[in-house]
Amino acid sequence: MKTIALYSIKGGVGKTAAAVNLSYLSSRLSLPTLICDLDPQGASSYYFRITASKKYNSDKFLKGNKKIYQHIKATDFENLDLLPSDFSYRNLDIELSEEKKPQKKLKKNIEELGEEYRFVFFDCAPNLTLLSESVFAASDIILVPLIPTTLSIRTYLQLKDFFKANKLDSSKIRPFFSMVEKKKKLHCDIIDEFRNAPGFLAQTIPYNSEVEKMGIYRAPLNAVLPNSPASKAYRNLWEELSVQ
Amino acid sequence: MKPEHAVNRAFQFLCKTRMHTTPNTVYLGLNQTFSSESLPEQFLLAGWQLKANSSWKERREFYDTFEWHAFEKGVAVIKKKKTLFLADLNTGQEKASLPFPGTPSSFFSGTLHPGTLQAELSSLSDIRAFIKLCSIDAIISSYSVLNDNEKTIATLTSESLYFADSKKPEPFAHLLSLSPLKGYGDEMELIKKSLLCNDENVCSIVDFRELFELIITAAGRNCLDYSSKLKLELDADAPVHESARRLLQFTFSVMRANEEGIKKNIDSEFLHDYRVAIRRTRSILKQLKGVFDAEESAYYLNLFRDLGKRTNELRDRDVYLLRQETYFRYLPPFLQPSLQLFFKNMAVSRKKLHKQFCHYLASSRYQSFLEEWDAFATRQSVPDPELSPKACHSTMSVATESIKKAWKKVIQHGRQVSSEATDTELHALRIDCKKLRYLLEFFSSIFPHKSIAPVIRQLKELQENLGDFVDFAVQLHFLHDRLTAIPSGKEENLLAASMGALMATLFQKQEEARSTFHKTFSAFDDDKTSQLFHDLLTSSLT
Repeated sequence: MKTIALYSIKGGVGKTAAAVNLSYLSSRLSLPTLICDLDPQGASSYYFRITASKKYNSDKFLKGNKKIYQHIKATDFENLDLLPSDFSYRNLDIELSEEKKPQKKLKKNIEELGEEYRFVFFDCAPNLTLLSESVFAASDIILVPLIPTTLSIRTYLQLKDFFKANKLDSSKIRPFFSMVEKKKKLHCDIIDEFRNAPGFLAQTIPYNSEVEKMGIYRAPLNAVLPNSPASKAYRNLWEELSVQ
Repeated sequence: MKPEHAVNRAFQFLCKTRMHTTPNTVYLGLNQTFSSESLPEQFLLAGWQLKANSSWKERREFYDTFEWHAFEKGVAVIKKKKTLFLADLNTGQEKASLPFPGTPSSFFSGTLHPGTLQAELSSLSDIRAFIKLCSIDAIISSYSVLNDNEKTIATLTSESLYFADSKKPEPFAHLLSLSPLKGYGDEMELIKKSLLCNDENVCSIVDFRELFELIITAAGRNCLDYSSKLKLELDADAPVHESARRLLQFTFSVMRANEEGIKKNIDSEFLHDYRVAIRRTRSILKQLKGVFDAEESAYYLNLFRDLGKRTNELRDRDVYLLRQETYFRYLPPFLQPSLQLFFKNMAVSRKKLHKQFCHYLASSRYQSFLEEWDAFATRQSVPDPELSPKACHSTMSVATESIKKAWKKVIQHGRQVSSEATDTELHALRIDCKKLRYLLEFFSSIFPHKSIAPVIRQLKELQENLGDFVDFAVQLHFLHDRLTAIPSGKEENLLAASMGALMATLFQKQEEARSTFHKTFSAFDDDKTSQLFHDLLTSSLT
């Protein structure tokens, strides 16, 4: 089982769009794939038209494995399942802080999912909390979408510092540029500057109004409009990751 | 229950996905009047809808052995979409699959490509053929059940089942199967309840096993309709001539049931069971003295002996062909290819013998024999007490008496076997044991299981020892006869060499069996076994 987090301290950078489309692409290769919606806003759950059952909440999530299994739901796409988020996730950090080894909690809680899934994607909330730390430990790869702007780069550097200060393995961090507008000079300059920086993925995701419309289609863009520029970019990104 | 009624009572759970969190598929039987245009939508909750996906036709072929090895072990062997599947009868879950382009009327597990499915089928039976039970065509329409978020929560398929080879255009069953997506079990419970309460088309819910049985019944078969094992429940107090006739009717039905398979040359076990039925028939006639008119018994015994004789050589060929792999294992690799010629000759002569026997089975002589025997086996009238003095004795008294006699004979003859244990002595004792075994089997239903089971177990050990000995002796004799008839030539010389090596091994094995005889017999001829027989034979008194 490979675990991939879509993570950014900053919001609105295209985490959910990437999580939804990359997990869909993984499932298309007949690889059983799970997407865990860890954001209490539940955007990826919404994209797949899934709501958590009334019995599901952060308590069950923290109990892990069997309890998680019971609440996983199939999406409309073969080989792609989703663990929906619940609004109670907003308290996950407090609850997590009461656990013995909060940083290792997520890793332990999803151990048994390996029997069923080849890929697990985490769609994370935009913050840096105890839950984020748990995600860092549980993930093999941390994909960080970056809009090529100074503020976005700043949050990325903050993340790097945090890893260094906490002696975490920063080689897991794989940033890629997202919502790129080639017309904007600043975007191009920043991409040029970081093109060869260590860990950066070469493929960028263009700004594409179709991505925003995913909220209307409520399905992965790669399923609805596979030929849109953003869909092609997600395919290339997935290939670039797969090769590595 | 008529098959179509059974169909109309269908409601079923089938778990066919890999996830343990996925709820089971529900099968719903529908009225014959149901048509796919009238899909039951009443079960949908407010805001839910059905979305039509696609329609297609699918051919499904069902296989099992004549003795239902797969069904007995709770699996179904199904061919569809050019693939052979093994499905769990309780859950419908597909356990293994294998590409299977053809649609043979039967096949052996050994001819399949090695893998899980092949291994599973071989473990069910490697000598019995898997025979096509029926072919059905399913006309399938698939729908998605969408909830108020337009999220698919289940797929609903409407299936009309037709017999592929039937000239009648009507389907024999209509089914709906509802396969929920993972995580939508609660919704499925609601649908199930709603369907059963609201829809007049929906008759019932069936499980995968029931659905399977329904198809087989509609195809004119019944699951587990054949077994060569004696499962008659005899009445201990009934006059023995009645019980004996029931036994004869049973062995006769086994003979008849196997004729078709012998003619079609499906596998070796049809002839084997046919021959066992003949031997059992003879044993009933011969061992239950005084039950039937002696002259009449002798007449039929003769006929059955002749019938048995007609199959001896054919069975020999079957047995040698089945031993092919074992014989190769007995030989050094460089001699193995030379033995091929032996099996080739066996196959050629088998073909000829098979044709001869089938010819006999189709003859009017055989037909009149069957009619004559059927009349005897089903005769209701009480036999003449002068000619059949014991006919009206109770089944228990005759059973006890004949078992006691046969057991004493085994003990007496066994004790007389010389220290050398000659071929003749062991051959004769094997027949005595077989007679005793048959009697125990015939009457096992009138004795308490706990008394008869250990007796049969003790006897079995002795029989195995003697059986091994005689088998090796017969093989040696047979090979020796063949060897002396081999013409000269290079290929034949090598064949002779391989047969020589084979005989050396068989001889060694025969001697091993001979050397353990006395020990095995002493274990049978001990106080413990004696007590077991004593308990059995007095159990009717307690």
